[in-house]
Amino acid sequence: MSAGAGPRLAEVDAALAGRTALPRDNGELVFEEPWQGRALGMGVVVLERTGASWGEFRRHLAAAIRQRPPEPGDSAASAYYAAWLDALEALLAERGLLP
Amino acid sequence: MTEHRHDHHPRPDSRLALRARALEALLAEKGLVAADAIDAVVELYERDVGPQNGAKVVARAWTDPGFRERLLEDGTKAIAELGFGGAEADNLVAVANTPTVHNVVVCTLCSCYPWPVLGLPPTWYKSPPYRARMVAEPRAVLREFGLELPDEVEIRVWDSSAEVRYLVVPMRPAGTDGLTEEVLSALVTRDCMIGTAVPQAGSP
Repeated sequence: MSAGAGPRLAEVDAALAGRTALPRDNGELVFEEPWQGRALGMGVVVLERTGASWGEFRRHLAAAIRQRPPEPGDSAASAYYAAWLDALEALLAERGLLP
Repeated sequence: MTEHRHDHHPRPDSRLALRARALEALLAEKGLVAADAIDAVVELYERDVGPQNGAKVVARAWTDPGFRERLLEDGTKAIAELGFGGAEADNLVAVANTPTVHNVVVCTLCSCYPWPVLGLPPTWYKSPPYRARMVAEPRAVLREFGLELPDEVEIRVWDSSAEVRYLVVPMRPAGTDGLTEEVLSALVTRDCMIGTAVPQAGSP
């Protein structure tokens, strides 16, 4: 694998290991729909731009996963990336960047 | 088929898709994140682990008989020569099409896929109808993909698992003599390496 997303992804994986780990299936990242990839991309860019750490994001993500019981019919990846959007909004709100 | 713990049924999810789009628009409006910055990240995933890695492997196999031999003998070791690999390709088996054998890959249990060489699996690959029918009636399914195979061609269906991933090495199309490896790799689409299509000399 060439440079680029690989190291970034490895960094994200390491930071989110455990209950907040990226959805994978037999080691493969699961994106069922393009919005889930967009959500991941937004997270990567927002953290880069704001200087927030993955540890900080992980705290919001863990809280969002706890607070958001999966809706009936939601797949694991859908539920995860829905919580991911919650976490991103919470992080931006905490930093006063979003209302 | 036994129930698998992962649910991959494609389903409309416009509610969440709209929400993601709204957040992205808000980020852009606040000047926090430009859409093209997100595009760049998403494209990195696609480019770095997209089907073009597999296409390079196939093009190399077409132009270098020694590599082809090594690839068919030990896929994992051979793709490492090109710098490809990873946990999802720990046991990659390359299967070559011939004038009498056509190979096609499925994962009947879930969606095992040689991610490091083919990128993200297409939605249909994960769909229960494809998974079930490709085993039961491969010729009919391939016909629906637009691939009509002569009756005398044997179809071999390879069922992926967490342990073994398969890569189809299609036949080099006629009329491509003298083309460079780079040009050839552009003829090798993702579907060619799953086995639901064959490369066309004039494509893409």
